[in-house]
Amino acid sequence: MKSFRRFALITTIATYILIFIGGLVRVSGAGLGCPDWPTCFGRWIPPTSVEQLPPDIDPAQFNFVLAWIEYINRLCGMVVGLLIAALAIWALVKLRPYRKITIPAVVAAILTAIQGWQGSVVISSQLESAVVTVHTLLALIIVSLLLYVTQEAYYEQDRRAVKAPTWPKSVTVSLGILWLVGVIQVILGTQLRSALEGLSEKYPLLTSGEWILTLGAVNHAHMTLGVLLVAFAWVAGFSIWKYRQGFTPLMRQSLGLMLIVISGQLLLGLAFIVVELTPLLQVFHLWLASLFVGLTLVLYVQSRWEVVS
Amino acid sequence: MSGITRLIILVLVVIVLAVGAYVVIRQAEVSRSDLPALARLPEFEFVTHEGARFGTEDMLGEINVVDFIFTRCQGPCPIMGGHMSELYELFEDANNVRFISITVDPEYDSLSVLRAYADGMGVRDSRWLFLWAPIDSVVWLSESGFMLAAEDLPGSHTTKWALVDQNATIRGYYGGTDLASIEILKTHIVQLVRDMR
Repeated sequence: MKSFRRFALITTIATYILIFIGGLVRVSGAGLGCPDWPTCFGRWIPPTSVEQLPPDIDPAQFNFVLAWIEYINRLCGMVVGLLIAALAIWALVKLRPYRKITIPAVVAAILTAIQGWQGSVVISSQLESAVVTVHTLLALIIVSLLLYVTQEAYYEQDRRAVKAPTWPKSVTVSLGILWLVGVIQVILGTQLRSALEGLSEKYPLLTSGEWILTLGAVNHAHMTLGVLLVAFAWVAGFSIWKYRQGFTPLMRQSLGLMLIVISGQLLLGLAFIVVELTPLLQVFHLWLASLFVGLTLVLYVQSRWEVVS
Repeated sequence: MSGITRLIILVLVVIVLAVGAYVVIRQAEVSRSDLPALARLPEFEFVTHEGARFGTEDMLGEINVVDFIFTRCQGPCPIMGGHMSELYELFEDANNVRFISITVDPEYDSLSVLRAYADGMGVRDSRWLFLWAPIDSVVWLSESGFMLAAEDLPGSHTTKWALVDQNATIRGYYGGTDLASIEILKTHIVQLVRDMR
């Protein structure tokens, strides 16, 4: 169980890195760096020069840097996909009695396979907003499942862990709601991002702050929900803090980090309007959002176990 | 692992990710913004449809989109005019993007003809200028300045557009009748404007 738990943790971290790279592909505009899928310009390794392009492809379409950014995303995606598949097989073979581990691990592996195929739809849809959003949503669900598996493995292994809620049911429920709202907020943000792209084509010379403020409903929903989410996270944080005597180090750290991350998200969101929607901050905005979703899940699982010391 | 060690590792990871992401984003931007400086325009002096003198020095400090047209033209000119007019509206709020149409039929296209033509295109300010000069000057500017063929004018004039930056330097050529090419032009204009800021 111990080595399984380690492997699950490594897989989860790798998935988080992949989410970061995926965001990077989006903001660097490399989403269509390879116009085809699964090959890149008809090759398994992207061309390094125009001479290597197949004759039916317009050389003007080829951008060496963008093709390689997209290709690295696919490579990492493949590695993570294999890791998750291995995790699921391991769970099925060695840990069959632990349903709480095997089921989410297998579901994660299936969703990952779907995610790989869905990646091809992202390309063929020319980065259509809804399709990109589904890609992001699937990533959040997969990483949440992996975190769940990792934690369940941890508690199954830890003999001191007793399955009894430390915290009142309301805390567990509000952590679940935080997770859900976090996911919805990411979906809204992804939609917002696509709408911004449309605006930047229509009004190319406005500043990013002006684009954001030009957006209607989606933007208001994202901003309002964002503020509410931060407030709600702090309220939930305080109600958990009451039970700090029974905290494990993991609880303390994940609670603190969750509050830091969500507050930082609010600041980043404001910076987009006031300063500039720089691509670098956008990547972190999405990545921190996925961390927030993960951390709420970690806390959620913890709220259902007690470690007797 | 103590809490402090974990925190340090976390901060290091974030720094590494940030630096990596910055490099990748920068590389992607550079790879897209490959606008070579092709040639600087020679000194010339034409007249605008409003009757003002217009020369190289008037192009400085502005992003200029230049095409060659004549008002009687029935072929590509109406299509190019449509595209130019679309860009003219698109960049309405940018006071440093200017459109310049040079007539290749100066004998017929007097200033008053050009003014009427401009009105017909919906031109309401000096962001879109129509330039006039004797035919020899037009041929010279087209061939030696813009490096575009100017034989058998006006009938077979070029449909290529040139993008000229704030230093009167040509940065790119685009097919004036080709929508895909116009889309590329749009992104290049935005790029030059952003570079100027």
